[in-house]
Amino acid sequence: MITHEEHRLAGEMEVPRRLHSHVVWHWRASLLLGAAVLVGALLLLDRLADAYVPAVLLPVVVGLALVTVWVWPPLEYRSWTYQVREHQLWAQRGVLSRTTSVIPYVRIQHVDTRQDLVERALGLARVVVFTAGIRGAELVVPGLPANEAEQLRDRLAELAGVEHAV
Amino acid sequence: MPSELAPLDAPAPMGRAKGLHPLTLLFAALDEGRALALPALAGGAWAAGGHMARMLVWVLVLLVIPAVIWAVAAYLAFRYQVTGASLVLDSGVWRRQHRVIPLARVQNIDLKQSALQRVLGVAEVHVETAGGDSSEAALSVLGIREAEALRAHLSALRVEAANVEEQERTLVARLSTRDLLLTGATANEAGIIAALLIGAAQLASELQLDLPLPGVDWPALVLEQSTGALVRGVVVVGLALLLLAWAFSVLGAVLNYAGFTLERAGPELHKRYGSLVRREATVPLERVQVIRIEESLLRRPLGLAAFKIETAATAPGKGQHRGAEAFLPLARATEASRLVAEVFEGIDYDTLQFRPVDPLARRRAFVRYSLALLVLTTPLVAFAGARGLWALALLPAAYAAAHLHYRSLGYAVSAGFIAARGGWLNRVTWVIPLRRVQTLHESATVFQRRHGLATVVVDTAAGGARVPNLRAEAARELLDHLAEGVVHPPGSEAHLA
Repeated sequence: MITHEEHRLAGEMEVPRRLHSHVVWHWRASLLLGAAVLVGALLLLDRLADAYVPAVLLPVVVGLALVTVWVWPPLEYRSWTYQVREHQLWAQRGVLSRTTSVIPYVRIQHVDTRQDLVERALGLARVVVFTAGIRGAELVVPGLPANEAEQLRDRLAELAGVEHAV
Repeated sequence: MPSELAPLDAPAPMGRAKGLHPLTLLFAALDEGRALALPALAGGAWAAGGHMARMLVWVLVLLVIPAVIWAVAAYLAFRYQVTGASLVLDSGVWRRQHRVIPLARVQNIDLKQSALQRVLGVAEVHVETAGGDSSEAALSVLGIREAEALRAHLSALRVEAANVEEQERTLVARLSTRDLLLTGATANEAGIIAALLIGAAQLASELQLDLPLPGVDWPALVLEQSTGALVRGVVVVGLALLLLAWAFSVLGAVLNYAGFTLERAGPELHKRYGSLVRREATVPLERVQVIRIEESLLRRPLGLAAFKIETAATAPGKGQHRGAEAFLPLARATEASRLVAEVFEGIDYDTLQFRPVDPLARRRAFVRYSLALLVLTTPLVAFAGARGLWALALLPAAYAAAHLHYRSLGYAVSAGFIAARGGWLNRVTWVIPLRRVQTLHESATVFQRRHGLATVVVDTAAGGARVPNLRAEAARELLDHLAEGVVHPPGSEAHLA
């Protein structure tokens, strides 16, 4: 396994590749938002509905949420690799449950790149690969540098023999 | 004669936009009613006699009134017409939808009638399109004469538009009346339950069973009766209903599938069936993604199975249309080889070697069943005290079930195909050509990883199959094999090289 930066130098297609490490901050931001909503709901429940929320619960929830927000993304990042093989795109990820997905290029219907606000701020983008399948029909490769995402998108579209959707 | 007096189902000229038959409202109401019936019954039983009944009525009224308004609005908003070589549909209350279905792309025009629709003289017209350009359209319901005229008209236009050639047809399968009786009799578990209930009723009357039923305060009709008589009455009524359901299932199968004929015409399967109204359906073989062979609990001992196909149109870059249908509602399991080969060329079903999954699957199933049992036991213990622990006597049964579950699982690979099997009550076998596979996945939960197990999932454009709990190495080997097979189907140049 080689790092993202090393790969850029090597320029090979067949090696398993990592995401960009900045994706950790994107995931932390999304998790933080989720945690804030959870804590906010808890506070609201306590204040407005006059429900009894034990005094210890709040610090515990906030503490657990912060630990998760901090610790989970690096683990997820470490678990993620993808590989542009000769005939299929392979992707592996998952901290607790591990999933390996195989998308044969001949089945790709179209390929997109997408960016939300946080991703844009971090200079990242994700590549979304669509097939006609039902379960796991879309594969998202997150956390790639924007230009790299575009390259991957174009490469996959070329391998699949389809135009990418702009 | 004023036009208002014309019969409702009189065929009108085709070029004009028309609405559905007014009885559409009845069938919409029946659909709605079916959804509300169970909660209403449950609520009714709970609230019967009490002052809650009035509240329940209000709740129902509040649910029913908007549904009625909605149904009427949707009915009024629906318009269809045939213009040129297209069927044009306008629908939608809030959001108007305008759909143009070119008849050249219509695959099949199907007339459907339920028993009630038959009595009332109405029918549904279903228009299936090919190429995945548009989903199917349903005109539900039209007067029977209108429906038949529309079908004839559309069929004629379609033949003209698509320049369809009739190909020579060869018979694949035909169902006799005896087959149909068997189909109906084994269609569901009503038969078994009826038999069990007869036994229970016998026992109850012999033991003079006097079960107290808490909370039941039935209206005046049964007030005079003793509880024992009431229980017997409930059992008898339940039994009668079940036998009736069974009889209906048999009758339904006979009426529904009467004269079932499955034919092959070049790259298409044609099936024709139905007693009063003949129904026809066409399935282009290129749309078949998966064959599902279902051997239910009742059918397996008789060596019978239902054959289903899952179809999808996967024209690249276009939308999709998918569905599952009975390709043959009943056939001998021994005929599987011939029938599968009729749909998928190049597979010899009989020579498939099904490999077992890892024996740890049994242990995992046992743990799962035991946990479920534990969850059931907890409230029992809470209510009945230590006696509730007797539920744990079912643990050996849970183990037996886990063993059967493990034994039922298996997978087989042959050139260009994957088959998977599972289910010990109702055994299902999936056959999937690799040229139909869209994506492949291997997944392992944290529990599976602890035991070095993984699950392989094969997905097509119309559903797929999973092979759970393989040894991680076996799973990876299967995944590699399938990934290779998807891009290099047997017979292709790359494969031969």
